[in-house]
Amino acid sequence: MFDALKGFGVTFGTMFKKVVTEEYPEVKKIPAERYHGRHQLNRHPDGLEKCVGCELCAWACPADAIYVEGGDNTEKARFSPGERYGAIYQINYLRCIGCGLCVEACPTRSLTMTTEYELADDNRQDLIYTKEQLMAPLLSGMEQPPHPMRLGDNEQDYYVKGPELAVSMESAPFADSMETAPLKEQGK
Amino acid sequence: MGLEEKLPNGVLLASVEKLVNWTRKSSLWPATFGLACCAIEMMTSGGPRYDLARFGMEVFRASPRQADLMIVAGRVSNKMAPVLRQIYDQMPEPRWVIAMGVCASSGGMFNNYAIVQGVDHVVPVDMYLPGCPPRPEMLIDAILKLHAKIMDEPLGDTRKALQLESGYRTPMIPSSERFAKK
Amino acid sequence: MTLAADKNTDIVVPDGHVKLTIDGAEVVAPKGELLIRTAERLGTVIPRFCDHPLLEPAGACRQCLVEVEMGGRPMPKPQASCTLTVADGMVVKTQLTSPVADKAQAGVMELLLINHPLDCPICDKGGECPLQNQALKHGRTDSRFTETKRTFPKPIAVSSQVLLDRERCVLCQRCTRFSEQIAGDPFIELLERGSQQQIGTAQDQPFQSYFSGNTIQICPVGALTSAAYRFRSRPFDLVSTPSVCEHCAGGCATRTDWRRGKITRRLAAEDPQVNEEWICDKGRFAFTYTTEPDRLLRPRVRDAKTGELRDASWTEALRVAAEGLTKAKEAGGVGVLPGGRLTVEDAYAYSKFARVALGTNDIDYRNRPSSAEELAFLGSTVSGTNPEHGVTYGDIEKAPAVLLIALEPEEEAPGVFLRLRKGNRKHGNRVFHMGQWTTPAVVKTNGTLIPCLPGEEADMLGRLPSEVDELLRRPDAVILLGERAAEITGLFSTARELAAQTGAKLAWIPRRAGELAAIEAGALPTMLPGGRPVTDSVARAEVELAWGLETGTLPTAEGRDLAGILGAVANGRLAGLVIGSVDVHDLPNPELAERALDSGVFVVSLDLRESSVTRRADVVLPVAAISEKAGTYINWEGRRRPFPVVITGTNRLPDCRVLDTLAVEMDADLFTQTPAAAMADLGRLGHHTGNRIPAPSVDAGRPNRPGQRHAVLATWHQLIDHGSMQDGEPHLAGTARPAVARLSVDTAKAFGVADAALITVGTDRGSVTLLAEFADLPEGVVWLPSNSTPATVRTSLGAGHGALVTVTTAANGAAS
Repeated sequence: MFDALKGFGVTFGTMFKKVVTEEYPEVKKIPAERYHGRHQLNRHPDGLEKCVGCELCAWACPADAIYVEGGDNTEKARFSPGERYGAIYQINYLRCIGCGLCVEACPTRSLTMTTEYELADDNRQDLIYTKEQLMAPLLSGMEQPPHPMRLGDNEQDYYVKGPELAVSMESAPFADSMETAPLKEQGK
Repeated sequence: MGLEEKLPNGVLLASVEKLVNWTRKSSLWPATFGLACCAIEMMTSGGPRYDLARFGMEVFRASPRQADLMIVAGRVSNKMAPVLRQIYDQMPEPRWVIAMGVCASSGGMFNNYAIVQGVDHVVPVDMYLPGCPPRPEMLIDAILKLHAKIMDEPLGDTRKALQLESGYRTPMIPSSERFAKK
Repeated sequence: MTLAADKNTDIVVPDGHVKLTIDGAEVVAPKGELLIRTAERLGTVIPRFCDHPLLEPAGACRQCLVEVEMGGRPMPKPQASCTLTVADGMVVKTQLTSPVADKAQAGVMELLLINHPLDCPICDKGGECPLQNQALKHGRTDSRFTETKRTFPKPIAVSSQVLLDRERCVLCQRCTRFSEQIAGDPFIELLERGSQQQIGTAQDQPFQSYFSGNTIQICPVGALTSAAYRFRSRPFDLVSTPSVCEHCAGGCATRTDWRRGKITRRLAAEDPQVNEEWICDKGRFAFTYTTEPDRLLRPRVRDAKTGELRDASWTEALRVAAEGLTKAKEAGGVGVLPGGRLTVEDAYAYSKFARVALGTNDIDYRNRPSSAEELAFLGSTVSGTNPEHGVTYGDIEKAPAVLLIALEPEEEAPGVFLRLRKGNRKHGNRVFHMGQWTTPAVVKTNGTLIPCLPGEEADMLGRLPSEVDELLRRPDAVILLGERAAEITGLFSTARELAAQTGAKLAWIPRRAGELAAIEAGALPTMLPGGRPVTDSVARAEVELAWGLETGTLPTAEGRDLAGILGAVANGRLAGLVIGSVDVHDLPNPELAERALDSGVFVVSLDLRESSVTRRADVVLPVAAISEKAGTYINWEGRRRPFPVVITGTNRLPDCRVLDTLAVEMDADLFTQTPAAAMADLGRLGHHTGNRIPAPSVDAGRPNRPGQRHAVLATWHQLIDHGSMQDGEPHLAGTARPAVARLSVDTAKAFGVADAALITVGTDRGSVTLLAEFADLPEGVVWLPSNSTPATVRTSLGAGHGALVTVTTAANGAAS
């Protein structure tokens, strides 16, 4: 006899419980740091690109979502330390399954993922992100490539002494945070 | 209705257009089209934690005659394509389609003979939502962006031609930015 | 090879073979075979870098060490299996069974990697690198080397298309051995000693070779890379499709690598009967011409109102073309000029189109200087050539003597040149070049020059040195004729006679890839497909039956040849032209051709790119490039070289399809909708067994003699020149041989230009000004490259091989 009321009891009791509903559009939910959001192409502390256009990410990609074409750094136009840079870099977010194998494959820690996820768009073309869209924003102390190497004579200096150099450059105090911090926090 | 075509273009009609669009976007009724893993996220979105009812969506029903939004959630196999099209054809106009997840949007990682390489091969898609699967927040974001699109929809052919001419496209602003608490 | 199934059974060792044991298995191998290959046949792959089957053993990298025991006594140290030949009773233990060999190999690998940079991600070789693969397979998991690696500045441009990265080099010497042994251009060498040992070039002498691209391909590490392909893509992202080179009549097998609808590179494929593993740089690098901005993508029609060409739909263009051609056919006739670069299928479609849709024999594919004598030679001798009966690459290599007449092998047939050189090095064959000067090819084939005046070649054949005559009488001797032979009166006839007298085999090596195919398809005014004479009623009936035509439909009279067609058009006797990929500037008389095209005839052009023909055409129909269609070339041996579509899904139509549709619009059926259909239709005709066109019998002409005021011009094309199929590849153009005018010191003195750096060679039409270089030409002869300067021999001089020209000091000192 009380069984019927029991059910109402559950409903009634819920009214006094804490609301579990996410307040999503008003309050943005920031996922965990390890969340596989959209990608970001990182920079060296002086603004040069870390990407060397090696296409290992494209190779690793199970969905064939990444297209890379390498380019030749010249004395006149240098985009990354060393010989090669990624001249064309595209990620098709309509193919990308966010598995992160590309990030694992990246030999220079150039490609990382952010926690950005609001990607919906109304046409397929705009969801192919190009290099300009994927590049990490310039922090203070960084300079838009092309420009000569500022942190050393060759690419080895960038990798061997990179973290120290980054710290010594007073304008970029936390070299590590550049790789993982979401775009918004970097003051896009 | 056909009536709007006979009226001159002006302030009055623009306001009617807004009103009509507002009523349409405020009570979208989704037809279920859960096909795979994305459907789990879609169901979650309907649950209390994400509560789609906040946006006038209420619950998903397998009743295309009453629905005006189809969320294609999951990879569409070639065998499923005609079914999908039939459901779409049964929905009354105006109707919208969200391709949820990369598989519905482009075939995703299933670039093979069995999977339709994007539902836009079968039905017109208004909103593509990447992710594998997308989080409920991403679905809500897609729906809110669709709302914005619906609000900009022209009423009648004259207005449509005008909008085409102006080249106007609804800006895709991330929902957390658009609705952020000031 | 025989494997011992049972130790007790005795293996029969055939004559000239030895028995040895590898990893416990008894093997029989031919004497003199290298151990590494015997092991490979057994299925044991010994790691190697320097070893290459077509190069002589070097033992440079020491990667292939194995443990060897001879006559029960083990050799004191592991031996390099790539230099060791097999011997009877040898007991070999490879890395599979011997810890010593395995350790030795791992040690060598560690040493090789000491100075090798860890830049695999940016190295073009990464992903297809023998060093990478073998380091993973046989190398140590870690390096004990903690010191700083040796570095060099990089990359060094060895030539404009080969880049050298000395840090990556493992000093295997494949490149230097290739250059020295195969190509004969030893410009790249080992320099320095010890840890500073490196590959380099002589100062002020770039690595200039027509075959330099092969060194990039055989480099087992990423030390030599291609400037054109540099950082373009990674091998694992490429689709590799077998293909055949379209640049010369050699028919070399190639491999085309492409991705996303774009060709990224072309490599030599392996075909022991044709190109072995080598191709020339033109075949390797010249593929960008199909993506030049002037590529035709849509049909064009001349607007009736404005008189300008405008884009049109296929339907409209084909309708306009069909209407115009039908009208022209009634108004006097239509000539067909298919051009010499077609596949068999496309050439067959042109041939059938002319006969069936246009009802004419006015078709001539030869877009170059040609003669009636040549026509008879092609019909009597060349048509029906096949590798079973004719001369092959293998015959050239093994021939005791090869006589080249009016053929510059390195420039006009690089594959033939490599075989000549190989034949000379391996079998000691004698090569005789009948030409004007000691070209690099004469030197590199260790050949003998038989000098003569340009145009005097036919006459010279009657006065051959007795040594040559005697050698040609040996079995398997070969006589090779080049494209230039058509410019020398009586040469075909006398060469045939010489071949008949001496018993030597005779072959004709044209320059263009489509020549043999066009002959086979009957794209000539005197010949139906298969070499059937048009005047022969039996042959005509055969073709009519196969094509399903009523008896007596095919035209019975011989048609006009190239000059005849152009002349008839200029005179208004022909009212229309169907032109394939023909460049006006290749024709013997460009002026006449332009006059003919401007005379108001109805011109339908099927072309790849905009040209002086398409600009004058009434209807332009775009056709598929070689990479966008399937087809079959026939190389100079008569060997069929079929190739598949490389880039699929372009929707570009091959010539045969366009002509088929055009014919349907004109109420004729060609049945050449696809290359496969065209090939099947041609196959239905079968071999021709009836009468053939009679052989030419023309007396040797009287060549122009140099005089007080005139010199005689010798000319031929250089391999890398201004040809439109080399457009868009600056790296390749950078390796072209410098364009110079050559003449002897005496000639220069006689014409008073001995002191001049720049000389002007002229005719009444125009002139060409070039740097002069002295060479051993006969007196009164001046040599020019045909198409290596903006002012070409054909267009600016209106002259050809054997013409009279004036030689003066350049007036204003500016090179044209």
